Amino acid sequence: MKGFSTPLRPLQPDVSNPPNAPRTERAAFRTIPVRDLIADQLVEISKQMKLSLSRADMLAVQKIFQDEDRDPTDVELEVIAQTWSEHCKHRIFNAKIYHTLDGQQEVVDSLFKTYIRAVTDKIREEKPDFVLSAFEDNAGFVKLDDDKAVCLKVETHNHPSAIEPYAGANTGLGGVIRDILGAGKGAKPVASLDVFCFGPPDTAESNIKAKDVIHPLGVMRGVVRGVRDYGNRMGIPTVNGAIQFDDTFIYNPLVFCGTAGIIPIKDIDKLVKPGHILVAAGGRTGKDGLKGATFSSASLTTDSHEEDQTAVQIGNPIEEKKVADFVLAAREHGLIEFITDCGAGGFSSAAGEMLHETGGDVWLERCPLKEPGMDSWHVFLSESQERMVMAVQESALPELERLAAMFETEIFVLAKADGSQRLKVWHHGEKVCDLHVEKLHEAPRREMRAHWRATPDLSPQIPVRPESWTQSLKVLLADFSIVSREPIIREYDHEVQGNTVLKPLAGASGDAPQDGAVVRVDNSDKLVALACALLPEWGKTDPRLMGRAVVDECIRQLVAVGANPDRIAILDNFCMGNPDNERELGALIECTKGMAQSATIYKAPFVSGKDSFYNYFITDDGPVSIPVTLLLSGFGVVEDAKHVVGASVRHVGSKICILGNTRQGLRGSVFAKWTRGAGKDAAPDFDEQVALDSYRSYHELVKKGAVLSTHDISEGGLAVALAEMAFSGKAGINVEVDRLPKDHDCNVAEILFGETPGRLLVEVAPEHLSTAIEHGLTPIGETTGERWLRVTQSAGTLIDVAVADLKPIWQKGLAKYY
Amino acid sequence: MPHAILIKFPGTNCDVETSRALEAAGFTAEVLPVALVTPEVLDRAQMVVFSGGFSYGDYVMSGRIAQLITKNKLGERLKEFIAKGGYALGICNGFQILTQLDLLPHASLIHNTSGRFICRWVPLKKNGSKVSPFLKALPDDFELPVAHAEGRVVTDDGEAEKYVKSGLAPLLYGENFNGSTKAIAALQDETGRVFGLMPHPERFLTRGQHYDPDWKTGEQWGWGYHFFKGAFDTMTAA
Repeated sequence: MKGFSTPLRPLQPDVSNPPNAPRTERAAFRTIPVRDLIADQLVEISKQMKLSLSRADMLAVQKIFQDEDRDPTDVELEVIAQTWSEHCKHRIFNAKIYHTLDGQQEVVDSLFKTYIRAVTDKIREEKPDFVLSAFEDNAGFVKLDDDKAVCLKVETHNHPSAIEPYAGANTGLGGVIRDILGAGKGAKPVASLDVFCFGPPDTAESNIKAKDVIHPLGVMRGVVRGVRDYGNRMGIPTVNGAIQFDDTFIYNPLVFCGTAGIIPIKDIDKLVKPGHILVAAGGRTGKDGLKGATFSSASLTTDSHEEDQTAVQIGNPIEEKKVADFVLAAREHGLIEFITDCGAGGFSSAAGEMLHETGGDVWLERCPLKEPGMDSWHVFLSESQERMVMAVQESALPELERLAAMFETEIFVLAKADGSQRLKVWHHGEKVCDLHVEKLHEAPRREMRAHWRATPDLSPQIPVRPESWTQSLKVLLADFSIVSREPIIREYDHEVQGNTVLKPLAGASGDAPQDGAVVRVDNSDKLVALACALLPEWGKTDPRLMGRAVVDECIRQLVAVGANPDRIAILDNFCMGNPDNERELGALIECTKGMAQSATIYKAPFVSGKDSFYNYFITDDGPVSIPVTLLLSGFGVVEDAKHVVGASVRHVGSKICILGNTRQGLRGSVFAKWTRGAGKDAAPDFDEQVALDSYRSYHELVKKGAVLSTHDISEGGLAVALAEMAFSGKAGINVEVDRLPKDHDCNVAEILFGETPGRLLVEVAPEHLSTAIEHGLTPIGETTGERWLRVTQSAGTLIDVAVADLKPIWQKGLAKYY
Repeated sequence: MPHAILIKFPGTNCDVETSRALEAAGFTAEVLPVALVTPEVLDRAQMVVFSGGFSYGDYVMSGRIAQLITKNKLGERLKEFIAKGGYALGICNGFQILTQLDLLPHASLIHNTSGRFICRWVPLKKNGSKVSPFLKALPDDFELPVAHAEGRVVTDDGEAEKYVKSGLAPLLYGENFNGSTKAIAALQDETGRVFGLMPHPERFLTRGQHYDPDWKTGEQWGWGYHFFKGAFDTMTAA
């Protein structure tokens, strides 16, 4: 066995603040012989050390060290395992996949390159003045105005939230906020959005088929409080979000946390050069959050609830607030050359990323610790929260120390970049890691198989007709996918920073729903709109249309609230169950294709994205996977505060118009969950080019000041959208559906409750009606002084009910559970 | 021109918008991290502001640690500053800090009766005849946003009633959403120059910040502007 040759203690810059924190006293590492092992033995090492590395990966690791002519240390194996983990390297999105669609074979040569990067590259060519950076930084930037750029990042924190909902969600938001602080040379977080998928709150305990799984109510309450306590304490308004409930999320809840940031355009480009020192700032390092990246790259089991607790980190928002104030001040003083956060993999990924081009020396002994007795790899890989690493000129250190003292955060010199191309980690004079930076990032490419078969469309012989359409509407308003999220929204401070123009709740009494949020940006005339969409129910049967529909819904919401349809960027966050199941992987591929198709036509570039796999759980009854779930979040530029449009009716005597065509098909709709066979079993199709043209036309109408309010038609269809508009309390609504543009064979159920994408309801003042018609809108009714919702057809009345009878059903549906 | 110093503790987070509101009303505003605070800084200020946020995380009792540190750093100098005509304003977490500094009538702010954080807008009513400079320019009834988990005013037995009667509780909730004793939303000293409130005037500086797009069409400023402007006008008229 041969380890490193004689250790050499390299020269260290002399900064150590704070002087009194616990530190390691000696290097603690071991050398692991791998060079002469057979594959089975290598796999055994991967299992024993919980590296989550495959046989092929372990053989590649062995090759690295055979070439180095020495055996690896545990530090090196842990660094490689983290770097190559699905969480960090997105190996499935970069895999070569042999896919069979309806019996036809095709090869997908990297989902990411084909359907995300290529789409964005093409749009960037067509729109050269919009995207400023995509995929290369912690978050992608688009241009807001001549001086400022805006970015958005959304992360998932599913596995930790399943095991420890409060801490999992808490650190999920904390982590994405650091992504923004680590974007460019340090962007300022200005708004957050949070999206959750839970099991239904009324799930019977007996329906949970595994030990130690937390009931959906416990998950929901813990997750909401986790987000609340981090976001509120950081002083970042949580302005937008969504919640989905479905049985498939009982074992694997999904928690998406997103944050938007602002930065001067001049501070976007960043580069580490030889000679720069790497300064770590923020919280101390402990044993919390070891192996988070590898943990999240495997499925959950009952054992996870017992064994993987150390993988969940512990959040401290005030520590993060201090480091955030420090980072933003340091950036304003021009001290930062490069910055990134310590996410999965801790210092190893931060230093690994920053020294990727140059190589350099890392010193672990200076790191202030939460607790004594940590091994070398613990210090290097700990995912303790609230830590940032920045590259600075050595001459900037005194000024950095002054700022750190001012904002009461701790800093120390972690590393120094040289031109050696090697990541050299030292601990008390001993070298514990020495890897070539390129080799470290050359994970073997995966090859996978997938298939998908489209579900055939079916028309019922005799459509089921509910007894009362009004009653159906009431049922839908009480459905968990539609009820008001008010009890949760009120727990989030959505107005801190004083810039939230379009709030999550509005209307005459501040409790009606909105389609998106709009925030003002300091010292800019332009505003930022935020919205998100996800339709996991569609993913069960028609993932491709789901991919298209979520892009449409997100963009439609942004356009509805006033964003310029040609100034919108989007993010994709995929979650799925078992990627080794060919059908599940097939659903992911189809969803990705659908998403790419719509994004291409809408010319909406992707600027960032993330994926989360292995969201399946081995229950007593066998594995349960989540449906393929795509969260599409978007942000758009609102050119003028006058363009901001809310989603609830404002005046009596206005005209109600509709944009977009209503199609057949109830598959995936909320209505179809309650009443089977009421309409065609098909997902309603739509035409993106027609939709985009109509959005542009609508935006012209907004610019003319002709739009009073607009609401998108989504879950629950037209009837629910009309009711929600009337929840403002300012007027009732009368609508005749005969005037609706629709396929001629649409039946009543499809008209009232169908969820065809591409549609908006628009309130227009009577004097602007002719202009609205010229812009492609179709009048279908008017607002009334009587607070009543009436929907009629030539044949008679379909819905006839007082708004006061509907609103409490919608408003109080979740209150008893939260 | 009146100068306002806003003391920023670790976890203070409404400093930017509060400075913006102060400046809109005419003040010069300076955000000062508490690490840089010395008694001498009071010499250059006419007003000391404690803004909203979660100073030191509020894990012990809201505002408690910030209050101890403020006492330790400024001691009697803050009282002298007030006695000499200085102003002190505490908003939300700042109010929680201010209640512990012996500058306001004795009271505590504890968790809302719902046990929840509550973010919403709330109707407010002016109370009593001791019109504080901060309320001078406001009508009897107006509204402001609130966002807190610990905003319920509690006092020793019967004290809350006295504050309402004497006007030391100059602002009451029109709808008592947090269970505050006697619906008290704010407290002031005898002069009205020391003022603490749970609602956030800095979040309603301009008309566009109201949740209702049809709120007072044609108006430029929100009620929060008039809150700061009232104090500014009083200071500059003197």
